Amino acid sequence: MIWSIYIYVRIFRILFIALALGWPLASARAAHTQAQLVLAVDSARRGETVLAGVHLKMEPGWHTYWKNPGSAGMTTKIEWQLPAGVTAGDIQWPIPEKLPPDEVITYAYENEVVLLVPLKLAADLKPGALDLKAKVSWLECKEQCIPAGGDVEATLNVGSETKPSADAALLKEWQARTPRVDKAFSFRVRWEKKVDNDTRTMIIEGTQTAADKSLAIDKAEFFPDASDEFEIQGATEKLPVSSGFALRKLVKEFSQWPSKISGVIVIQGNGQTNGFELNEPVTGDMAQVSAPVAATPTVAATAAPNQSLIQMLLYAFVGGLILNIMPCVLPVIALKILGFVGEARNDPRRVRNLGMVYTLGVLVSFLVLAGAVIALKAAGHKAGWGLQFGNTHFLVALTILVFLVALNLFGVFEVTLGGRAMGAAGELASKHGVAGAFFNGILATVLATPCTAPFLSIALGFAFAQSAAIILLVFLSVGIGLALPYLVLSFQPAWLKFLPKPGAWMERFKILMGFPMLATGVWLLTLATGVSDKNTMLSFGLFLVVLAMGVWIWGEFVQRGTKRRGLAVAVSIFVLVIGGVLAFPMTRGADQIQWQPWSSAAVAQAQSEGHPVLVDFTADWCLTCQVNKKVAIEVPSVRDKLKQIGAVNLVGDYTHQPDAITDELSRFHRAGVPLVLVFPGKPNAEPVVLPEVLTSGTVLSALDQASK
Amino acid sequence: MKRLIAFFGLMALVGSAFAAAEVGQPAPDFTGTDINGKTVHLSDYKGKLVILESYNQDCPYCHNHFKTGAMQELQKEMTAKGIIWLMVNSVNPHNSSHRTPEQARAEWAKYKMNATAWIDDGSGDIGRLYGMLTTPHMFVIDKSGVLVYDGAIDDQPDPFHDPHKAHNYVRDAVEKTLAGEKVAPAKTKPYGCAVKY
Repeated sequence: MIWSIYIYVRIFRILFIALALGWPLASARAAHTQAQLVLAVDSARRGETVLAGVHLKMEPGWHTYWKNPGSAGMTTKIEWQLPAGVTAGDIQWPIPEKLPPDEVITYAYENEVVLLVPLKLAADLKPGALDLKAKVSWLECKEQCIPAGGDVEATLNVGSETKPSADAALLKEWQARTPRVDKAFSFRVRWEKKVDNDTRTMIIEGTQTAADKSLAIDKAEFFPDASDEFEIQGATEKLPVSSGFALRKLVKEFSQWPSKISGVIVIQGNGQTNGFELNEPVTGDMAQVSAPVAATPTVAATAAPNQSLIQMLLYAFVGGLILNIMPCVLPVIALKILGFVGEARNDPRRVRNLGMVYTLGVLVSFLVLAGAVIALKAAGHKAGWGLQFGNTHFLVALTILVFLVALNLFGVFEVTLGGRAMGAAGELASKHGVAGAFFNGILATVLATPCTAPFLSIALGFAFAQSAAIILLVFLSVGIGLALPYLVLSFQPAWLKFLPKPGAWMERFKILMGFPMLATGVWLLTLATGVSDKNTMLSFGLFLVVLAMGVWIWGEFVQRGTKRRGLAVAVSIFVLVIGGVLAFPMTRGADQIQWQPWSSAAVAQAQSEGHPVLVDFTADWCLTCQVNKKVAIEVPSVRDKLKQIGAVNLVGDYTHQPDAITDELSRFHRAGVPLVLVFPGKPNAEPVVLPEVLTSGTVLSALDQASK
Repeated sequence: MKRLIAFFGLMALVGSAFAAAEVGQPAPDFTGTDINGKTVHLSDYKGKLVILESYNQDCPYCHNHFKTGAMQELQKEMTAKGIIWLMVNSVNPHNSSHRTPEQARAEWAKYKMNATAWIDDGSGDIGRLYGMLTTPHMFVIDKSGVLVYDGAIDDQPDPFHDPHKAHNYVRDAVEKTLAGEKVAPAKTKPYGCAVKY
């Protein structure tokens, strides 16, 4: 505020002086930059190359532009008027500064700059004084922009000796600020992903070559050369890498995507700034590159290029096939297959029909899932495969369901849905109802949701960013993959001939299959309660035990019992109710670090007060986040460091996937948690982005860096 | 305070980077107030061609189009065809180039502007929604509400030229759209001064 008052006072003063002296306003307004031509030598010999410089001095707050002005502005131009025998080379541009606002980033010089130009003296030049002239034009900007220019000139003596001028040191100093052309780095540039039809992300990686590994890299930037065909935008995100650097830049297309890019890599470290020329082809076939993967960023990174729709559908199909052998689905499928082993011999047509009904059940479930995703997307929500895991109620229900399925497999109780009531445990050869087969299809799909198979996450990640039709296609492909083995076997039961005749082994196999199901249940239990929260997990686990007892009473005395079944119903319900009351309410343990809820305003506030900020985006269902917290954040060394640097600790709870956090994650191009950021305690300073898997060392060094 | 505003600006930018206007996609709707206090919704003009112009008279690039009269003539030519021309001034109220409604009405009269409306976008919301980078930065929206042009006003990116002699991309986009042809180029690099968000 004080600053802007100062400007107003200044403007008034200039206006006042201008009016008082009767100056034409235009010339007064265009006097914020002064240009001067300087030479490294007073005299030179013919055949030599003389370094010249256009020295621009800007008034405080004013700036002029680099060779690529950025999203706005105009580059400075030098039109030489040179005597015969003197030729000017290209301008050597010192490294500029990247100027805000973030919406319209520009590359410019503040205070002063010397634009260097080599002047080649011909070998046959006549000795004597030479007049070197140039017309310099520029755009100078502060709150407003003014096109301005001026004529500059200098005299050079061509004679028998080379004599440095008083400006030699100045030119040398500015020459040191131009980009280096040595091979201290090897660069690699590749397309990453599509953001929309005319925006993509690009990754620029640099590794230090053996010759110069000593260069400290605190900050890396890329300043691109200008192009009319595309724009490499100003925002830069630094990606965590073990050595060298990796940057992510947004590229917007105007008429053509670049096949190669050029510009300057700017490395800051140890208080020094070094620039390196970059001129590299862009690798990766962007025509094929998919949209960002929603669920599993790590898989996405390795699977980026060359993904067509057909390939994605194939992935979806294969992923669906593999789902059949995942521990959450296998027991159900395996048992159903066994279920018709005997039956098929008597009634093959019926088995075929049941196979088709089961397939229908799977496909309908997947259609419903796809519909839910499309509807959520249409309503402006963010959808992902992990979507359902944002919902604790869903997780609790799924955990209970999986436990019940396991108990059923153990023969604790029977499921009578769709078929006729079964008299004894393990009557697998009993007739399957049509409704039962359909329900099995739904059950297989529901049980499949917590499991993700290889290929599946890639295909689904691809699908979530696509149109409704493609989402449907991908989901149906997964469904077909999931249903196919059962369907094929129902048409070709002969392929199961290698299995023994139905008998007691089937009962044992059924119980065996209960164990992977129980394992799935235990895993879901940790998701539903959050592993960090032991109390909740214990309560919910005990509730499941009581539930097991309740259904056992039900199975033993209601389903199989003959006497006092009414009493048995009452007892089992009573046990369940008591179990429920004891288990809830769940309580939450307290952390030792003083966490406050995250908001972008809280970050800005803390930064403006000079506090470094640790931000942990986490979710109860995110296992990596919990591990990170346990091993790398909630540890004494980090706790002490946080206290010592006066950090503000903010936690962003992504368990229920609020949009504000989804947006913040996408700002750092993450599709999900974990995301841990360390902001320096300076207003608007960019954060250090920590890798997905943390050690306390990584966190400590990031905190050190941010508190410098 | 300023820094806080800048920070929120950045947040808004990041948020909008994914919702921003894109050629070939429906142009995002907005609501603004013009310098006469009238509320303007983009959706009011469904069924008509709409031109958006990011505006700042203190910017020499923008000024060049007005001092030569070229912008006003183009506005007249377009609005005479029933096309809606909305000027969007996204200069923030703390910048000396900001215009109060009174100042804006005076500037409108001084330059004899012929646009449909001048929208006061001091918050920068509309500018950010469309990713307006420079003044001038032009957008053409077809009758079905789809953005068909995004970029520079003409092919002379300097503040000195005579716009009458330059190739005007906006006129070209409008004529092609009216003739039912595909707009080409549909995207160019906008030039000018940075929008003073």
